[in-house]
Amino acid sequence: MNSFETNVNRLAQCNAALASALSQSRGGTLEIVQARTGIPSARANGRWIHSAYDPIQEAKTWAESQSPQEGETIVVFGVGLLYQVEALCARLPRTAPVFLVVPDLSVLVDAASARAWGDWMDRISWAWGTPEEISLQIAKANQPMRLMAYTPAAALHADSHRAIEAVLQRQIAAQAGGQLNIAIVGPIYGGSLPIARYAVSALESLGHQVRWLDHSVHASSYQQLGLLKNPQHRLALQSKYAEMLSRVTMAQLAEDPPDLVLALAQAPLILPMLEHLRKKKFMTAMWFVENYRHLTYWQQLAAGYDFWFVIQQEPCIAALKRAGAKEVRYLPMAADPSVHRPLELTQLEREEFGADASFVGAGYSNRRAIFPRLLGQDWGFKLWGNEWDGATDLTSVLQRNGARIDTDTCLRVFNGSTVNLNLHSCSGTGFDPDGDFVNPRTFELAACGAFQLTDRRSLLPDVFTPDEIATISSPDELPAEITHWLREPEERRVMTTQARRRVLADHTYAHRMRDLLSQIGVASPDRIGSIMRGARQTGALASAAGASFPSLTSALRTFPSNQRVELKQLAAHVRSRGPMGTLSREDLMVLMLDEYRSETKDLV
Amino acid sequence: MIQLARLGDLVQSLPAIASLTARYPQRSLDLLCPAPFAALARLFPGVGHVLEWNGPQWHAWAEACVGEFQAGCLDVVGRYLAGLTSEPYETAYVLNQHRRALLAGSLLALQVRGPYLHGPLNEELSPWASYLRHVARSRGNNRVHLSDAFCGLCGLTPPPISPRLTPPLPDLPADLGDIGSSNRRWLAVVVGAGDPDRIIPVPVWIEWISALLTRESSYALVLVGSERDQVRSLAIQNGLSPMMAGHLWDATGRTSLPQLAALLKQCQWAVGGDTGPLHLATAVGTRAMGFYFSRARVHETGPYGNGHWVWQADRALPGAWPIQSSVALLLDPATAAHQEPVAGWSLWQSHHDEWGAIFRPAGDRDPQEDQRATVWHQLSEQRLSLQGTQ
Repeated sequence: MNSFETNVNRLAQCNAALASALSQSRGGTLEIVQARTGIPSARANGRWIHSAYDPIQEAKTWAESQSPQEGETIVVFGVGLLYQVEALCARLPRTAPVFLVVPDLSVLVDAASARAWGDWMDRISWAWGTPEEISLQIAKANQPMRLMAYTPAAALHADSHRAIEAVLQRQIAAQAGGQLNIAIVGPIYGGSLPIARYAVSALESLGHQVRWLDHSVHASSYQQLGLLKNPQHRLALQSKYAEMLSRVTMAQLAEDPPDLVLALAQAPLILPMLEHLRKKKFMTAMWFVENYRHLTYWQQLAAGYDFWFVIQQEPCIAALKRAGAKEVRYLPMAADPSVHRPLELTQLEREEFGADASFVGAGYSNRRAIFPRLLGQDWGFKLWGNEWDGATDLTSVLQRNGARIDTDTCLRVFNGSTVNLNLHSCSGTGFDPDGDFVNPRTFELAACGAFQLTDRRSLLPDVFTPDEIATISSPDELPAEITHWLREPEERRVMTTQARRRVLADHTYAHRMRDLLSQIGVASPDRIGSIMRGARQTGALASAAGASFPSLTSALRTFPSNQRVELKQLAAHVRSRGPMGTLSREDLMVLMLDEYRSETKDLV
Repeated sequence: MIQLARLGDLVQSLPAIASLTARYPQRSLDLLCPAPFAALARLFPGVGHVLEWNGPQWHAWAEACVGEFQAGCLDVVGRYLAGLTSEPYETAYVLNQHRRALLAGSLLALQVRGPYLHGPLNEELSPWASYLRHVARSRGNNRVHLSDAFCGLCGLTPPPISPRLTPPLPDLPADLGDIGSSNRRWLAVVVGAGDPDRIIPVPVWIEWISALLTRESSYALVLVGSERDQVRSLAIQNGLSPMMAGHLWDATGRTSLPQLAALLKQCQWAVGGDTGPLHLATAVGTRAMGFYFSRARVHETGPYGNGHWVWQADRALPGAWPIQSSVALLLDPATAAHQEPVAGWSLWQSHHDEWGAIFRPAGDRDPQEDQRATVWHQLSEQRLSLQGTQ
């Protein structure tokens, strides 16, 4: 009997269906090559899956670099010749459940043919089939999951793995009941400031405890520094000011340590502070709602945050990883339906804000070059926004002399215009040839039920269908497209209805925050994931404390069972018994730990 | 006994240990102190076991609990406490007012005697703790030494003689092996301080050492301190005349606490501003001369025992230093009575009697009446009356 038959026969004892499917499958994905140590190694698509020298030692090193926690289900991505699974099993306690994701039976056929598996294979739960089937099999374990990717092998099925991970994240999001304490660090000013506000509101709507460290209160002081004429002084002092605000942020975080620090682009957190936060076990994430090609300060901060969320996909994600970011995920923009909503305008408002076509935004060079062709048409065009100085040919259509437009006005323009133009900014004279991300305005217009004509973006199909958003691929098409859409009120109505429905179904900030937290939860099953599952709520804590800690259990039972309770609250509860209160040994231990917890001076 | 404060407070607990073991000779006394001081505490007479309090470990546990509290957190803490003692002590004498020390007492013993009368959540202070808090806030005319107040906290009176500890035989690096030998007069210079506000500036030390060695070349000086004092020590040596190099031994950062105790015992004098090493010097029988400024006060934390000197500044940061006068005093203590007053400083000498340590002004009659006996009587009566009501 060859190794394939031996392995399949043994597999049949624990998973007959997989063994049978394997017998009927063909291999050939992996090229088996003998390693220098004489055992089989493998290549695929010209790349080594295991070490060409010593696959066993390499697998051992990989297994030692993983950090599983007690009580977790281990989910391994990446099949290869299974050296890494063998090494992992050798390191884990026998009771630790291990799932191996098998998205493609062909690789497993190669693995089974290459060498005989040992006893460790009896410990493996083989998750195979479609991504949904695999996720379902893993979810049955009903335990916190620790995902481990053996990258050389996992890369062969990256799409399948992403799909499985997405299903697992959706499951976490659906189960989420635990309340997180989240600190949002906002910018001093700029486009990400309203996003910070929307994120705060969304997280609160999801039931989390949110503290907004709002640095916009420092904006006027910071802008005063911008008035300094000497550029060296200006830059040096602005940098010092940002550093000082970074320290302020640290002090604020130290006062009430959150489970997660979520920073928005331009948040004043410098790398040394982020490194210090990591040392102190703070978990940090950045939602970089900027074009990574234009604002490049991420290069200095990449290694500082535990998680990066970006509005662009490749090559943005790869660039951040090259700069040192460990976890980078795609998280597109969104809308806040409580703000971005259909409005009934009065006659006066209609006269002021209404137009056949309009645009709200700053005077970037491509817009300056494109908009003059909208003048002198049969229909009217209004231009709103600031930074249009010098665009004299557009003076006749520029509203309010180019004053900055607030959100409220913006919503009235969106709702009052028949066709809203949505041209992403670019430094050239046309559309951005690298245009990928979808700007917030796209979602906001859709949420308002306002019709929009948008320049084509490579990531737009991910979030809207052509039935929901009308697009153009060249500035030259713009006048004709506007004319066309002005003549199609019913088609416009259908599209705006569908677009708004789509936003409400998929693209609110609440959706984004839920995705963000579930992704962090999957990557951090013992911390964020555990809280989200409700494992830190009093009911769960009291069950875990059980008979071993009767006093703690009875203290926990005095809180509502779904309330999140931490050391601080428990200590306050013990103290609330008053000066003559009787203290158990557990109470004293809680008080002692809380004494040390309350010393936060080393953080600041 | 629980003493979780700094080195100086630990050494100043010696009188309380002496009184306690004298009062209860049949009972065993163990000491809980910060782990870094445990090796020194094992030299204390009358102490059985020394239990090590691992502050950094507690910090780590507390940090691990933040945002992640679970019952398991108490498991590991419980195991640590069980490792300190398998059975609770009958009584814990707690010498610190910090809540941690009080909680440690409650965790390790059946009853706690210390600053609080009714346990860690009730802040009603014992008479002695109340007196100490009053002294800390208003100073007033207090002449009760902290070491003796520790005795009061334990319900005891000060020991009749100041206790000594016996350091091990010197086991020092080879180049420090000669310290204490030959016909030289050995003097330890405490170059730094745990509290940065109490550090004597390098130029002051340079001038002081120069003045001493210029007037009396038989002195040999040992620079002592921790590792962080090494740069300061080097700066002092660099600032001195090369001719003085043969008079200097640099031990900064090179001794454990027991080794420092042994080294100080080899010296006739210890001079400096850091109260911890000065207390250690007096505990091994070496005379001390302290420069007290910043928050240091002679009457509360002066070197314990007989015949020590303290220069007390009348402001936190002295403008001038009593360099020539202190050198003259060191060379001939008999001149103390005839010392010219030094602006901004007063000179005090330590004595020891039935109420413990007392510092009196050099030369003059103490303008302040010694009220220690009254304080002791009042506080003892209050304590007895409280015991009666309990």
